[in-house]
Amino acid sequence: MPIEITMPRLSDTMEEGTLLHWYKKVGDVISSGDVLADIETDKATMELQSFDDGIFSEIIVQEGEKVGVGKVIALLTEEDESPAPEVSEPEPAPIKQDHEQGMTISPIARRLADEYKIDVHNIQGSGPSGRVIKRDILQVVDTTKETSSAAATTQPDEIIQPLVSEPEVVATSHPIVPIAAWRENRSEPLSNMRQIIAKKLVESKQTIPHYQVTMSFDMDPLLEMRATLNKQLASSGVKLSLNDFLVRCCALAMAEHPAFNASFGGDCIYYHGPVNVGVAIAIPEERGGGLVVGTIRDADQKSLRAISQECARLSNKAKEKGLSMEEMSDSTFTISNLGMFGVEHFTAIINPPNSAILAVGAAIEKPVVRSGELVVGHELSATLSLDHRVIDGAMAARYLKTLKDLIENPAALLV
Amino acid sequence: MSERIIEFRDALCEAMSEEMRADKKVFLLGEEVAQYNGAYKISKGMLDEFGPRRVIDTPISESGFSGMAIGAAMRGLRPIVEFMSWSFSLVAADPILNNAAKMLYMSGGQFGCPIVFRGNDGAGGQLGSTHSWCVEAMYANVPGLKIAIPYDAYDAKGLLKTAIRDDNPVFFLESERLLSITGHVPEEDYTVPFGQALIRRQGADCTIISFGRPLHFCQEAAIELAKEGIDCEIIDGRTIRPLDIETMVTSVKKTNACVVVDQSWPFASIGSEVASQIHRYCFDDLDNFVHRVHSDDVPTPYASNLEQAYLPNTRKICEAVRGATYNT
Repeated sequence: MPIEITMPRLSDTMEEGTLLHWYKKVGDVISSGDVLADIETDKATMELQSFDDGIFSEIIVQEGEKVGVGKVIALLTEEDESPAPEVSEPEPAPIKQDHEQGMTISPIARRLADEYKIDVHNIQGSGPSGRVIKRDILQVVDTTKETSSAAATTQPDEIIQPLVSEPEVVATSHPIVPIAAWRENRSEPLSNMRQIIAKKLVESKQTIPHYQVTMSFDMDPLLEMRATLNKQLASSGVKLSLNDFLVRCCALAMAEHPAFNASFGGDCIYYHGPVNVGVAIAIPEERGGGLVVGTIRDADQKSLRAISQECARLSNKAKEKGLSMEEMSDSTFTISNLGMFGVEHFTAIINPPNSAILAVGAAIEKPVVRSGELVVGHELSATLSLDHRVIDGAMAARYLKTLKDLIENPAALLV
Repeated sequence: MSERIIEFRDALCEAMSEEMRADKKVFLLGEEVAQYNGAYKISKGMLDEFGPRRVIDTPISESGFSGMAIGAAMRGLRPIVEFMSWSFSLVAADPILNNAAKMLYMSGGQFGCPIVFRGNDGAGGQLGSTHSWCVEAMYANVPGLKIAIPYDAYDAKGLLKTAIRDDNPVFFLESERLLSITGHVPEEDYTVPFGQALIRRQGADCTIISFGRPLHFCQEAAIELAKEGIDCEIIDGRTIRPLDIETMVTSVKKTNACVVVDQSWPFASIGSEVASQIHRYCFDDLDNFVHRVHSDDVPTPYASNLEQAYLPNTRKICEAVRGATYNT
């Protein structure tokens, strides 16, 4: 008794379905669960699976036909039954189906076959038990290439449809040039210096109530004086930098405003006697990078020439072999200057136990208003970061005012 | 760069001596390491240089001196324990596995164990089955320790220095058969990092992965196989824990075939672990299952001919590569 396969109801609203494609041919051995056909419903295309085992004996509804739900579309005979008379003729050997016939193929061979769009069923595998292996696929690829190129030479006018389409990457005649060198993710252990920076600055930013106050300075008088001095003193090897002037200005202003030469002491404010200005010095990348703060001791007592010499010495030593503990300790205020990089404005993190740090930008040539006239002049913007436990806003403003008087009337720096 | 050629054993001696000069906490102990200059002359001259407090002869009591060294390591010293053979470490299995490897974990991070255990591993040549142990498979199973296996004099020194500087217990597996081989060892200070495999030979057809002494068999096999047109790539894993599976996988993705050569026994071994990971990480790139070459699954024979047949020798490696590449 043949088993009837009927058009299934694949959705609630389905009345009829179109048979799109038969996956099985008459004579195929069917196991329950095998996909027999694709059915198109009013909503979607779905697979029709067999619920029975048997031999596929008759196709009643051909591909493309539309029939109502419940109508018989094909017949199965159970395996021990004699086949229906119309299939007793010898059938052509069924196409090998790998999931049915136990065909084996190595993972890389399967991947290559997919890439080159090769039908693996036609390949006799050369591996154990006929396993299709990489070599078998590559042989097909080579043969096809030879055939198509041979054909191309004899019949140049014809368009050759290659049996094998190569993967896109191979087909490209131009080498693929990477846009940028591939960079691996990587991690590097912290140097000692970076560990200290990480620890100290997190502590500073987390425990000190920072706030910032910015002021701009007219730099023309100071730049003019600097040019004159450097010209006159060139023969004695003096070359004053803008930073040297700022160290002296800050130191003189600190002497006048003792809160800027102080530290927060928990239950007191500690006012330091000596005015020691710290200067942030960047260490070159090839020496491990990072930064240190060199200390100009008693900066308010020192001439510009002395400050300049000491700054240059500390900077060179820091970059070449590093500073001693003594050269890095006891600063009471710090200057961080990024002006040489053209930075206009930035803010810095206080270097404990200081109460303030000055972040200095570049002296930039720009349109400025002088005595009611729009002219071209040099302006520098500097930003104080302050410890509010020690210094209030008005105090910061007064300090900056003193600084401004010194910078904009630089003759006072010479005495 | 100097072109200095020295023996594997002298490279080990230099590594220990240089680290002992650099760090007073490092010291060496073991059977015959001091007055006899080492059973294999690895610690030659070290007693003279460092004195009997830092180069210590111990009684034949591995469990005792290993335990003592572990205690010293827990208190901040950095001992190097020489086992005349790793075979003898079995009597110290409790302290080295139960204490050294687990101390950091079991003390909740209070005590580390910066210690190096080193000595000869594998068949030394007719030493019989009890003295020919390959301990790597058994010990690599234990979390909390590192295992390094040098292939040549350069790595012997570089890996041992890394081992001594490491804050974890390191099992350093040497081979008696390699102690006399010579190789280029620079005079400058250098180390070889753990977990970075090295491609010892470039090839296109089959990746051979191995560690330590069997790599020399792999090199011979690669020369044989090249005559047959099979181009082998040889990867020296250098350390088993940590295992640089990335380098291995990258190579197998290129060759699509892989043979692991491991001097331990086949069951639950380094070879089975590496094979499993290769299958896991590049399944779709394999043309065949990963083939494995091991010592045979029997106690090491004493008879010379049987011992040679038992080892993961050149013949077995060639057969495995032919199998993995379908060239049988």
